[in-house]
Amino acid sequence: MSKHPITLTINDQEYSIYVDGHHTLLQVMRDQLNLTEVKYGCGRGECGACSVFVDDQKESTGRKVVDACLALAATLDGKKITTSRGLGKDGQLNEVQQAFVEESGIQCGFCTPGMVVKSTALLEKNPKATEDEIRFGLEGNICRCTGYVKIVDSVKKAQKVMSKKRK
Amino acid sequence: MPSSRILPEFELLLPESVAEAVKLLKKYKDKATVMAGGTDVIVSGTQGFATPYVISLAKVSELDYVKFSKSGGLRIGALATLQNVADTKEVKANYPALYKSAAINGTPQTRNMGTVVGNVMRASPSGDCACALLALDAKIVFQGPRGKREVAIDDFFIDYKKTDRKDDELAVEIKVPAPKKGVVSAFNRITRTTLDLSKVNAAVCLTVEKGVCKSVRIAMGAVAPKTIRLFESENLLKGQKISPSILEAISASIGGQLSPIDDVRSTAEYRRDVSAVLVRRTIEEAIA
Repeated sequence: MSKHPITLTINDQEYSIYVDGHHTLLQVMRDQLNLTEVKYGCGRGECGACSVFVDDQKESTGRKVVDACLALAATLDGKKITTSRGLGKDGQLNEVQQAFVEESGIQCGFCTPGMVVKSTALLEKNPKATEDEIRFGLEGNICRCTGYVKIVDSVKKAQKVMSKKRK
Repeated sequence: MPSSRILPEFELLLPESVAEAVKLLKKYKDKATVMAGGTDVIVSGTQGFATPYVISLAKVSELDYVKFSKSGGLRIGALATLQNVADTKEVKANYPALYKSAAINGTPQTRNMGTVVGNVMRASPSGDCACALLALDAKIVFQGPRGKREVAIDDFFIDYKKTDRKDDELAVEIKVPAPKKGVVSAFNRITRTTLDLSKVNAAVCLTVEKGVCKSVRIAMGAVAPKTIRLFESENLLKGQKISPSILEAISASIGGQLSPIDDVRSTAEYRRDVSAVLVRRTIEEAIA
């Protein structure tokens, strides 16, 4: 199998690496780059534990969320990727992460890296999302602990904090 | 049994143009799987269905478009994601059936990755966009070693996951006819959770003049080995004033046209019963 030379910018750090054609972004991040905040849940795009941002100029926000388990790393040459680790700036949590801490949106924590990426995307694209829109937007990210109430509360809290900051 | 957690090995090919992709397909034919978003190809790969070659369209940026004009209709390139199509204002305004089939398909992540053309190419009997596009009388444009070929979606689905695509042809575009006066459409589906595949789906496209149905296409998915048209119900409706009694007659006509199965998502009996209701509601939604 031929190796593909690619460059990925993950959380502002550049990685120039060789990857196998059949390796997913998730495998490459976890096994080759040791970025283990991206979790392997189902491996088939259902649970969202591996959600990451990939830059996309067609999106109004300039980036979109994908499942890293369904994306082949070699197809993403030159892309910028952001994981939960890269959401905040200068060691600070972003508003969504902080709200998950304050509202106890975390129990076992396995879904959390995907949840905070997805929630950040949701509020970026639709800052005024209603509760229904938040619940619809969080589909594709499964949590087996919380029953989602605390997660939805966390997103709503983050939404409030973000809207105050914009004023 | 291959591991369901690791993709089997294959050679990934990354053409940068349609011409280059077609050349690769001519060489590898059925030994190659064409992949756009990967939401189907990667999942089936983990289940052990991978071919030795996978041709990714990721770098064929010329196929990344959704274009609309009032006279020419809608053109969806092979790299346009479900989300791109759902986000296109003209789609929501002119093709509500297609809009809904893209906007509620899968999850936000898979909508950001999966493509409308891919949904049709996979030819799953439960494909949501496939169902909507069958009602909307779409055309599929192929590019192959013998040049360009257009296929009406009516002729595209042949049997369970069997289509009219030749193994050296690349689906480059789906075209939907320009919206004509009085044309309305709608799509609905039944699922356990929204991110689930459809147990049953239905799409209708009608031309209504003064309450009379001038033309109609009714499509259904997950009720037969392929996405199907309900010709008998269409004939009942065509030329008629749309009334509660005609809608009742249509509901009664549906069960006999279906050949559903029992599977993990539902039973044949339920699919047959709910289809009668689903089609009637979808017609009502379209003309509302």
